[in-house]
Amino acid sequence: MESFSLLMQGLSTALEPMILFYALIGVTLGTAVGVLPGIGPALTVALLLPVTYGLDPAGSLIMFAGIYYGGMYGGSTTSILLNTPGESASIVTAIEGNQMARQGRGGPALATAAIGSFVAGLIATLLLAFLAPQVVKLALTLGPREYFALMVLAFVTVSATFGDSALRGLTSLFLGLALACVGIDGLTGAARLTYGVPQLMDGIETTTLAVALFAIGEALAVAAMLDPPDGMHRVKGSVKMTREDWRRSWKAWLRGTFIGFPIGSMPAGGADVASFLSYAAERKLTKHPEEFGHGAIEGVAGPEAANNAAAAGTLVPLLTLGLPTTATAAIMLAGFQQFGLQPGPLLFVMNAELVWGLIASLLIANVMLVVLNLPLIGLWIKLLSIPRPWLYGGILLFATLGTIGVNPSPVELGMLILFGVMGYGMRLYGYPVAPVVVGLILGPMAEQQLRRALSIAQGDWMTLVSTPVSAVLLGVSAVFLVVPMIMRLRGRGQVLSQVAGDAD
Amino acid sequence: MSEGFPLERRPRWAAFVIAAGLAGLAAMILWDASGLKQDGGYAGVGPADVPRIIAYGLLLLAGLTVISGLKGDLPRPPPQAPAPVLWIMGGLIGQLLLLHVAGFILSGAILFGMTARGFGQKPLWRNILVGFALAFVIYGIFDRLLKLNLPGGPLELLIFRG
Amino acid sequence: MKHTLLGVAFAAALAVPAFAQDYTIMAPANPGGGWDGTARAMQEVLQAEGIAPSVEVINVPGAGGTVGLAQFVADSAGDPTKLIVGGYVMVGAILTNASPVTLKDVTPIARLTGDTEAIVVPAASDIQTLGDLVEKLKADPGSVSWAGGSAGGTDHILVGLLAKAAGVDPTKINYVAFSGGGEAMAAILGNQVTAGVSSVGEFQEQVKAGTMRLLAVSSAERLEGIDAPTIKESGFDVVVENWRMVAAAPGLSDEQVAKITADMDKLNASAGWTKMLADRGWANTYLAGDAFATQLDADIAATDGVLRDIGLVK
Repeated sequence: MESFSLLMQGLSTALEPMILFYALIGVTLGTAVGVLPGIGPALTVALLLPVTYGLDPAGSLIMFAGIYYGGMYGGSTTSILLNTPGESASIVTAIEGNQMARQGRGGPALATAAIGSFVAGLIATLLLAFLAPQVVKLALTLGPREYFALMVLAFVTVSATFGDSALRGLTSLFLGLALACVGIDGLTGAARLTYGVPQLMDGIETTTLAVALFAIGEALAVAAMLDPPDGMHRVKGSVKMTREDWRRSWKAWLRGTFIGFPIGSMPAGGADVASFLSYAAERKLTKHPEEFGHGAIEGVAGPEAANNAAAAGTLVPLLTLGLPTTATAAIMLAGFQQFGLQPGPLLFVMNAELVWGLIASLLIANVMLVVLNLPLIGLWIKLLSIPRPWLYGGILLFATLGTIGVNPSPVELGMLILFGVMGYGMRLYGYPVAPVVVGLILGPMAEQQLRRALSIAQGDWMTLVSTPVSAVLLGVSAVFLVVPMIMRLRGRGQVLSQVAGDAD
Repeated sequence: MSEGFPLERRPRWAAFVIAAGLAGLAAMILWDASGLKQDGGYAGVGPADVPRIIAYGLLLLAGLTVISGLKGDLPRPPPQAPAPVLWIMGGLIGQLLLLHVAGFILSGAILFGMTARGFGQKPLWRNILVGFALAFVIYGIFDRLLKLNLPGGPLELLIFRG
Repeated sequence: MKHTLLGVAFAAALAVPAFAQDYTIMAPANPGGGWDGTARAMQEVLQAEGIAPSVEVINVPGAGGTVGLAQFVADSAGDPTKLIVGGYVMVGAILTNASPVTLKDVTPIARLTGDTEAIVVPAASDIQTLGDLVEKLKADPGSVSWAGGSAGGTDHILVGLLAKAAGVDPTKINYVAFSGGGEAMAAILGNQVTAGVSSVGEFQEQVKAGTMRLLAVSSAERLEGIDAPTIKESGFDVVVENWRMVAAAPGLSDEQVAKITADMDKLNASAGWTKMLADRGWANTYLAGDAFATQLDADIAATDGVLRDIGLVK
């Protein structure tokens, strides 16, 4: 129980008024920058980290924690209200969340995202505090073959993001996979589809593609509508969640947390993969399959919980092994080093006070976040009452800001425009845009893990099913893939219509 | 996104264009793959193999798209207004071209102004003025305070570094 | 809301003193990487020590730094306020990407820091010494899987050099490239691969905790405080250092170069820089002027040779 008393000590430090004030500033800044479309958590943390320099360690850490969770949380707001996710982990949030907003239910969507993030952040931070060493031991037993199997599972379940036509969904996914081929092949250094353009060598940036397809594509599509449906987005009813919303959300929050935390902890996991799997799970388990694609609250609650839990999960390898597994984590690592803290296996032993201080800070920041954001929902909703010309002008300005700030090359901006037009065209003909981004993220992960696994096993394909974890994951994927087909073939009638909802 | 569009059982030319695009993309990938190292090393799967599989997938999807096009199974987009799209595209391209010459604030003002014009807000000069104010604020916060490097032009130099 | 924002921005604009940048340092990589870290560390110390009151860092990521390098050469020629951070990885990237712009096109100022590479095995491995590992490699090169960073990077080069020194065909090594240090480290810790290569600093904490065994380091001499032989001592003539440097724009006058070099000398001599390096765990391998230029040429030639041997450059 030593860890418990250390945590209590950390919490009592964190409850000093000045420290709470720093937490509030951190959370506010993190949310404010994170909420801008086109600016994801990695950039948010990188930009705001210097703000924490020069404070004492306790104040600095808590501001830091606030920025981290605030930046993670901020992404969902614009996804839901404006269909413009700023980062890959809130793409699936946009699918259901924006539909809810269009029906005037933006308030409950934001609320379930905020409370879900809080619940997930709370549970995942506690898991981090008490189970980190055990979790990391498990995560380390996973190697390339297990990650490949996980990616296969993600691919199989990704059909959940397809919308109503399997053909068009698959086409979108393959477009993403094709785009993923662009750039230097991670394993051999061979340049693929770069045509001698050096800017293409690092591949197509996920943020660029996501911002272009969603924000620019959406702006073009909305502008081109001859007669926009009147009162789309107008808030109807309360901005608060109804009893029914609560009933449908809480399980999704918990499921999202327990999907997100372990996947975030894996060195090759990530918040985006976690959010995809959570969305797929909610879609399979829901009692309201007909609502999916048209604003199902579970589809917001689950993925938002999952990506926040994954954000806490990322800290597991960071704090226990010193492994930064995401760009955001790598930036945090640099932040830790200003206190002379070397993340590594001995961190929990050598710097116990600081680590528990950080964990306590994360808990406080998490509470602060929900305290700040629930009242703000009313204000965010008002964003939608900004006249459209100003609103979309602002969205495009911010959307391009993210790209310009990170990589102001004309090639990058050119891609932004090109993919924006592609997003517009896809909207016209009913092609869903989310699977393109999903393909861009999962494609290279699956390919590289497969080739690594085979390389280690010297070309023996049996290695892919040689451990229980990989065999089970691949088996489950096969079941997901084959069972609906068999049902369809056998049923053709009643069974077909029965399963069509939950297994397409 | 697509629901509510009427489906008409008539061949759809758009589907054939889409299919041609997919096939073209597949051809590009196959051509590129033929120029890569074919040896997969110890893995047996080389840099050209996965792109090939994806290209075959695209070809298959192109074929299926043709079939669905013949059946008329593609949503018919509602009538579109081309002018707003051109305004916004113009704004984006204007920003791209002007960014490194005129700096972030002016190019951003033009993007904002033309986008707002695309959404029906007139006159253009007032939109650009509003955009200028917004871009100015963004530049102040992000470049000056948060040290996010945004391309500066003569204007930024004059105001902030003069 | 809008008014407060405007107010904040104008206050901000006024609060920022208006003076020209003394230096603009380009980090040809994304935020969070080693070059970015070096550039930002320089920025902090140069400003704090009053060597240059106003320093700005810009990131131009892409293709192992070659995108940034090309842009730097094109935009900064003759401008003595422009600096670029780079390193050994860039040497390899220029060759493998057949970059039209090379380090010959900039004015190298000084080598700042260096990382020694280390070869490790998982603690559970039965391999005890570098000799054991090389025996295994000689017997069946494919059975030894090496985890390291990007293909053609420093880690890969080290494995190629070692194979060559041991008389093994460098094209036969089973090098498994991982993206980012975290994943490669996880693969070693999880006993997924035979051996791992990365900088000593990355492994140090793990070795201390007993989760990895350090077989050898790539420096010329043994490192202080690290209980492991050099590769050279183990009988293979391989020395690799993953250095980071700062370079200036092409087309500068001798006086301009001398001034920048003097500023870097001041940086290197400052207490702030010493503390920064200690905090980050970077070794100070400061080397300026002609000595650095000579070393750079030697490194480029050696790297070109080994990349051809591995088959990454034709």
